[in-house]
Amino acid sequence: MNGAMDIVKNVSTDWKQKKSQLAAYAQNSLPYVAISEKARIYMENGMMDDLDEGHAPCSPRYILPDYAIFMKNGSKFLNLQPPTNLYEAISALQIIYNFVPSVTGFPVFLGKIDELLEPFSDTVTESERVNLLRNFLIYIDRVFADGFVHMDIGPKETKIGRLVLELEKELKKAVPNLSLLVSGETPDSFLALAAETALVTGKPYFANDIEIRKILGDNYGIASCYNSLKIGGGSYTLVRLNLKKAAQSAKNIDDFINNTLPDVVNAQCEIINARTKFIVEEVKFFENSFLAKEGMLDICNFTSMAGIYGLFECVEQFTGGLKIGYDDAANQAAIKIVDAIAENVKAIEGAYCKGTGDKIGLHAQSLIDSDKDVTAGVRIRIGEEPPIFDQILIEGRLQRPFDTGVSDIYVFDSTAKRNVEGLITIIKGALKNGIKMFALGCSDSELVRITGYLVKKSDIEAYNSQNQIREDTVQLGANSFQNQRPLDRKVRSVV
Amino acid sequence: MSKACLNRIIENSFIDGPGSRMAFFLQGCNMRCIYCHNPETQCICSNCGDCVRTCPVGALSLVEGRIHYNKDICIKCDKCLATCKNYSSPKCSVVNDKSLVQMIKKNRDFINGITFSGGECALQHEFICDVFRAVKADTDITCFIDTNGYMGHSALEALCEVTDGFMFDLKMFDKKKHEKLTGLSNDVVFDNLKYASSKGLLYEIRTVIVEEFTDDTDEIRRIAEYVKNLNDYSYLRLIPFRPFGVRSYMHNLKTCSKETVVNLHSVASEILGNRVTANLL
Repeated sequence: MNGAMDIVKNVSTDWKQKKSQLAAYAQNSLPYVAISEKARIYMENGMMDDLDEGHAPCSPRYILPDYAIFMKNGSKFLNLQPPTNLYEAISALQIIYNFVPSVTGFPVFLGKIDELLEPFSDTVTESERVNLLRNFLIYIDRVFADGFVHMDIGPKETKIGRLVLELEKELKKAVPNLSLLVSGETPDSFLALAAETALVTGKPYFANDIEIRKILGDNYGIASCYNSLKIGGGSYTLVRLNLKKAAQSAKNIDDFINNTLPDVVNAQCEIINARTKFIVEEVKFFENSFLAKEGMLDICNFTSMAGIYGLFECVEQFTGGLKIGYDDAANQAAIKIVDAIAENVKAIEGAYCKGTGDKIGLHAQSLIDSDKDVTAGVRIRIGEEPPIFDQILIEGRLQRPFDTGVSDIYVFDSTAKRNVEGLITIIKGALKNGIKMFALGCSDSELVRITGYLVKKSDIEAYNSQNQIREDTVQLGANSFQNQRPLDRKVRSVV
Repeated sequence: MSKACLNRIIENSFIDGPGSRMAFFLQGCNMRCIYCHNPETQCICSNCGDCVRTCPVGALSLVEGRIHYNKDICIKCDKCLATCKNYSSPKCSVVNDKSLVQMIKKNRDFINGITFSGGECALQHEFICDVFRAVKADTDITCFIDTNGYMGHSALEALCEVTDGFMFDLKMFDKKKHEKLTGLSNDVVFDNLKYASSKGLLYEIRTVIVEEFTDDTDEIRRIAEYVKNLNDYSYLRLIPFRPFGVRSYMHNLKTCSKETVVNLHSVASEILGNRVTANLL
């Protein structure tokens, strides 16, 4: 590898992608934020990593600006007055999205779009509203070409919420990522439209508003892949722990829980706190961000994230190959392990983590494109899923301690399209049984959810033929297709 | 405690009645339809042992004269089903009502209902009644029956007491052709359709569209008119024939074309309006 020269000469990336990769390359020429020798060794040997956030981060990884404040006040920095109609409201959002920092270079949170735009929906005619929304979604897909750009709707049914679903079904694009917050306030008619849309496009996610609200309060959003974070806040960093690797250094499950986990979680949280302090104290992010100065961000809403993955393999190791979802002993071991991880993470003070009670948030990480032979978060290995309801019941329990993001994806065959009522029953049942983020797909869909984001099968084929693709996530998806086999997810077939 | 011979369970079905349903396929059938796509559900296993000899992985054995099936090592190649001259399956199991009810209640949050199918499930109607009664005692899960309609009146009466709805096959309107297709007369089926309809329990009537028999506008028109005269609520579902699993000469027939289904759907719709549904390929 010739580093920067390889980036410059890569025929599969456009100039913007090259610029972003060069910036990351430059950042990594700086020394890593100060961490202990032990933490450094864990980073080097694959026990944990920071998902290529960079050695010296200049802004938080995920930011969820409080766009409602922007809509109310406008912005001095952007020289914008508060919008008075739907034209101005959409234009204002399109402008500010370009000024939201993130690890991907694109805004990972577009706001609760129905709450933001519904007040303006009757300032135009119905056909204008449809046209404006369609072009807004096209703008987002073309300009923020990244599957981690996330928009929220719900839980109430609104004109704008319905329109977003109807247009997404029509446009069939991977961007934006989309979540419907689901609560008792969500009518079945709205859920049905969302389920029909999901069978065509793989989105929206169905977010468990009741459970997430209990953890984060009323003003939260779903950002990036499926992270639940406070609005007006975000997460400084995400450092993840490889449980498969960690298990290999333990004698048995008791040794793992009593000795290994406290040691590795301690190192993980040390890295997280070091990175966080760097952003707050040395970069002085909150002192120079206009979003913070104008009240759209508040340090009190921020947190950091400790991620884990590979629980499935970790449990296999300690139970002589038993599988979560099939064997009660494996299920019990899995529960014991996730609860112990949560206990360890929550025992440590999280620097500047007021958003989650001065503790670091717990996150079930869904892999990156280069991961091989290991399973995402607390999911069950692709291709080895048990009967769907058994899977939902155990995953609902395993997802309980995760307060900043956890999900799984369930693939149905096309008979679901003729019976959306049945599909809604399953979604509601899953949320009732503790699933925090329910994603679904249809086996005949052109859009495939890789881990947390969507890509088109045809874009992967084009990328593999060395064509330039606008979306960064297509490149990630192409690698993931080879390494993690998302198309092998068990289809819930009735034939 | 009652018991039944079970072919298989589909825990998440979208095609066996309204909403999300758990479907139980009971073993044994009284018809011998030449287009049967799961002929291995027709008979009870005779323990002849032919399949033990052809299983490539040793998942089948004869223990004290009875077939023993080890599902943990089965590779689901279905060679046993192809071997069986008795139109049965070594993979059936005997289940009791208590364990089935327990499984249903464990998954109650995910289903709108349960459906018994087959084979011809009404052959084991006492078991079905026991399961339905237990489920209804403390859940709002709906209980449906998918039947070929060929059963004695006392069985039908008993099932009507506990079920929320029937899906009835009407395989042929034409009496002679019905006998040719199924081996049995449709007189009993018509009697039972009338009775279930009068009880308000005839959720759906189902007809498979197959060459030489039902891919005929006159036949479908007669069926649609029959449904219209029967009541004002039952659905008519048209199901295109597919050759998968079929063992008679019909194995060589092609899958019913979409064009045929669309055409017959419109014929039936002229009579029944939006009460007609069709599985479009």
